[in-house]
Amino acid sequence: MNPIKRYGVKKMHVPDGVLPLWVYILFLAISLPILGIAIRKVNKRFDDRLTPYMGVLAAVIFAAQFVNFPVPPSSGHLVGTTLLAVMLGPWAAMVIIALVLFVQALYGDGGLLAFGLNFFNMGVLGAILGWGIAFILFKGITKFLDEKASVLIAASVSAFITVVGAAFVLGLELLTIPGLGFEFVYIITGIHAVIALGEAVLTFVILLYFVKAKPKMIAFLKDSDTGRALNRDRTQEITPTLEEAR
Amino acid sequence: MDRNTFVRVIIPVIVLLTVVISVLIFTGLASENPDGFEWALFDWAGITEPEGGFEGIFAFLGSGPLVDAVTGGIGIIVILILAYLFFKFTSRRTE
Repeated sequence: MNPIKRYGVKKMHVPDGVLPLWVYILFLAISLPILGIAIRKVNKRFDDRLTPYMGVLAAVIFAAQFVNFPVPPSSGHLVGTTLLAVMLGPWAAMVIIALVLFVQALYGDGGLLAFGLNFFNMGVLGAILGWGIAFILFKGITKFLDEKASVLIAASVSAFITVVGAAFVLGLELLTIPGLGFEFVYIITGIHAVIALGEAVLTFVILLYFVKAKPKMIAFLKDSDTGRALNRDRTQEITPTLEEAR
Repeated sequence: MDRNTFVRVIIPVIVLLTVVISVLIFTGLASENPDGFEWALFDWAGITEPEGGFEGIFAFLGSGPLVDAVTGGIGIIVILILAYLFFKFTSRRTE
């Protein structure tokens, strides 16, 4: 058994053939309709001038997930769903994570059958928890700090909590493997608590870049293009939302 | 996408991400420890990792820092184009 498949680049997600087949099918049945809803929401709220930035963010997340940082004796990588959710809202975050997971599956990381389960953990849970927790924290922190500092703190703390929460759910899912006891849930959650610190730091650093360079891409901030897109009513006419950076 | 956006946003991102990944891989900064998920599942729990199956579209190239840097760069371009096209066709048209 050699878990290290390639130099610096490893299989990071749940592969096919580990969990019982019904678990994979169940999560495909749950996740695919949610992905469909996410695509419809994006369709109604985002206009096509934001698309280059969607591509850029997908590439950033793919690259960030490509390389692991050491957490001896293990390692971890950025998930990035909270970062995306804070910037683009939960629906667009789900769609981008789905695209990233699909390409990773083509690279042999996480099976196509396991796509539903991986998408549920990182895309659905990550986006809903990440966005929800960050939003509550953001509203609270803005009473004491300015918007930009608040979004950085809220997103980082939320990223930490979300990764730990998703790892806990992953542990529960893995209990469907015969022979695994509940202590396994503690182990995998504990490992990811350390990895989540890395997630929080990376979320802070990447978001700091966007706060400085492209604050209009952060939905939580006032007057942001993505924020306007999220709040747009479906019946409203499309109006220009993206002012090109001068 | 207009030419201006392509030159000012897309190309710098591709170049920057590819350079960062390549530097991390070639300088050995990318961790070679097993991933949190795999360490816990396959090593600690003693569950045999499923052998065989789909190893990825670039599996035939083998492994090594150069292969990983190149395939990583290709992946960045692929995901960028895929996400761009996907959102282009699924988002609302600007009037």
